[in-house]
Amino acid sequence: MGDLTRLVFKRLGLGLGTILVVSVLIFFAVELLPGDIAEAVLGQGATEETVTAMREQLGLDRPAFVRYFEWLGGAVTGDFGVSLVSGERVSDAISDRFVNTLFLASYAAVIAVPISILLGVFTALYRNTIFDRVANVMTLTTISSPEFFLGYVLILFLAVRATMFPAISSLSGDMGLLELLHRAFLPMLTLVLVVTAHMMRMTRAAIINLLASPYIEMARLKGTPPWKVIVKHALPNAWAPIINVVALNLAYLITGVVLVEVVFVYPGIGQLLVDAVAKRDFPVVQACCLIFAATFILLNLAADVGAILTNPRLRHPK
Amino acid sequence: MSSFVIIYYTALIAASCLAAYYKQRNVFMLLFSLTLVSFVLGIIGGAGALRFVATASFILALAAGTSYAFREFLILISKPGLAKELRTAPLTAAFGMFVIFTYAIAGIFAPWIAPHGEAEIIGQAFAPPDENMLLGADQLGRDMFSRIIYGARNSVGLALVATLLAFFMGALAGLLAAVKGGWFDQLMGRVADVIMSIPSLIFALLMLSIFGTGLHVIVVVVAIIYSPRVFRLTRAVAGNIVVMDYIEAAKLRGEKDWYLIRREILPNATAPLIAEFGLEFCFVFLLIAGLSFLGLGIQPPTADWGSMVRENATLISFGDITPLIPAAAIALLTVAVNFVVDWMLFRTSGLKEQ
Repeated sequence: MGDLTRLVFKRLGLGLGTILVVSVLIFFAVELLPGDIAEAVLGQGATEETVTAMREQLGLDRPAFVRYFEWLGGAVTGDFGVSLVSGERVSDAISDRFVNTLFLASYAAVIAVPISILLGVFTALYRNTIFDRVANVMTLTTISSPEFFLGYVLILFLAVRATMFPAISSLSGDMGLLELLHRAFLPMLTLVLVVTAHMMRMTRAAIINLLASPYIEMARLKGTPPWKVIVKHALPNAWAPIINVVALNLAYLITGVVLVEVVFVYPGIGQLLVDAVAKRDFPVVQACCLIFAATFILLNLAADVGAILTNPRLRHPK
Repeated sequence: MSSFVIIYYTALIAASCLAAYYKQRNVFMLLFSLTLVSFVLGIIGGAGALRFVATASFILALAAGTSYAFREFLILISKPGLAKELRTAPLTAAFGMFVIFTYAIAGIFAPWIAPHGEAEIIGQAFAPPDENMLLGADQLGRDMFSRIIYGARNSVGLALVATLLAFFMGALAGLLAAVKGGWFDQLMGRVADVIMSIPSLIFALLMLSIFGTGLHVIVVVVAIIYSPRVFRLTRAVAGNIVVMDYIEAAKLRGEKDWYLIRREILPNATAPLIAEFGLEFCFVFLLIAGLSFLGLGIQPPTADWGSMVRENATLISFGDITPLIPAAAIALLTVAVNFVVDWMLFRTSGLKEQ
């Protein structure tokens, strides 16, 4: 087991390193601005004094790498500085919205994961039948549609023509859980459609790959009933790819959420990011990017670690 | 029970019987399951739902017919070698080629097809459709139909340029890394890892917030975001080729890296690269459409599908489907490219599942 923990820790360290490199990238990308933040935000019309005042306020007179370590130190403790536009603390603006985004993503995940794994296994078992072909065309169509297309189609049919769900998901803290679930239903459904399509295809590919292996053939030849081949022989080896698929798609969910939040005016962190980009509010942009990137990397990391834990062959890299 | 319902069921059942009689198993399954679905939907939703199912299946049948005819047309006009390949194309791939062909025509001949200019204001804001404006007017009173036609040129053109750049950078880096190896290979690999570890949309938003939203900025940023995918594929494909004996022989002859890439590796790596180009185009196209939708892509008054959806989104709350047409145009092209790529991958891999 010592070997295994060392491998997992090595992988974790690599992930942490990636997050660090990405944070460097996010911080120093802003330094690439022609001029500096103060000039970019205040624009051409600003007087020399206001620019100098802003520089002093932001501490731009100090070297970039000193500011980077301050920023990183703040980010680790949840302090992302002050918004350039509203003057509000960035962490205050983010915290509630981050919870909302997590709520939406996990709502979608809880529904999408079981459905897509089941459907994926079914399409793999009944591959090349009409059911599989129809599923293939439908998932391809869903993947190819931009998220906002699916979102607006759902709004048109489920919110405008049949007034079952609200088109705009305004949430507030004092709502009951059922009310929250109802309001967030359409954005959730949009995400579920996209993620399910991805996950189904990947699960199908993984299972088909598995069913082509010789030991499954052997099990079939010795007369094992089909359900037993699946449950006893295929499934134990299928966990690794399935866990991988789930984690990768959850990572996808985190970014797909941006467009969906804008379509449904959902008060999440994606909406905040898009607003901040339009207003060039750099501290907010940096904070949101760092959060999204870190979540993305962590989920990918989880996929890797899950694969290592469930597939002994990966423990001995060539 | 209206005459429509009676005719609908009669036609379906007759067609199913014919298919069963001529032992067309797949066609029969399709038709009969359609009949059963219609039964259920008809009972739940009445004639309205039935009409919807009928229209949908009619459109599907029409698409299938068009693709079949288009494939036969392609087979007739192409050379024997190519015609043989085309014969193996499934209907979905033929459909994809037909759609791509149509978009290309619309994009190239946009000024002649579109009845009005792309930024020309000719009516009231949100005017309903009439014979002058096929799809009505948008939020400033410009002709929606003309803008969609021009959008084929602008949106697809921009995505194509970005894809080409991404492909050029990625493939070049991948080939050089495979040929040179050593520190260059390592460095490029790490750079690709870092870029791919940031979600693409987030990365694009970060870059656009810094450099503004000019066309060239979008092209370069998107190309940088997607070139690592091409890099990895090219590196993997070329990595398998450089260990071959004929590469060794060419090296012993004293050929330079550039000759190796151009004459020895590239000809053997084209098939997977072309398929990757299609996939890459889909990703780039969707990303740019998403950015435009967020108001950070192609700037007005240039007609662009993503921003058209955003600008006219208010119409949706009145139950109007016009804002969905540009979005559907995006989806249709991506689906079409995917269909063609699917077929090409299947063909090149020689993969026959069972």
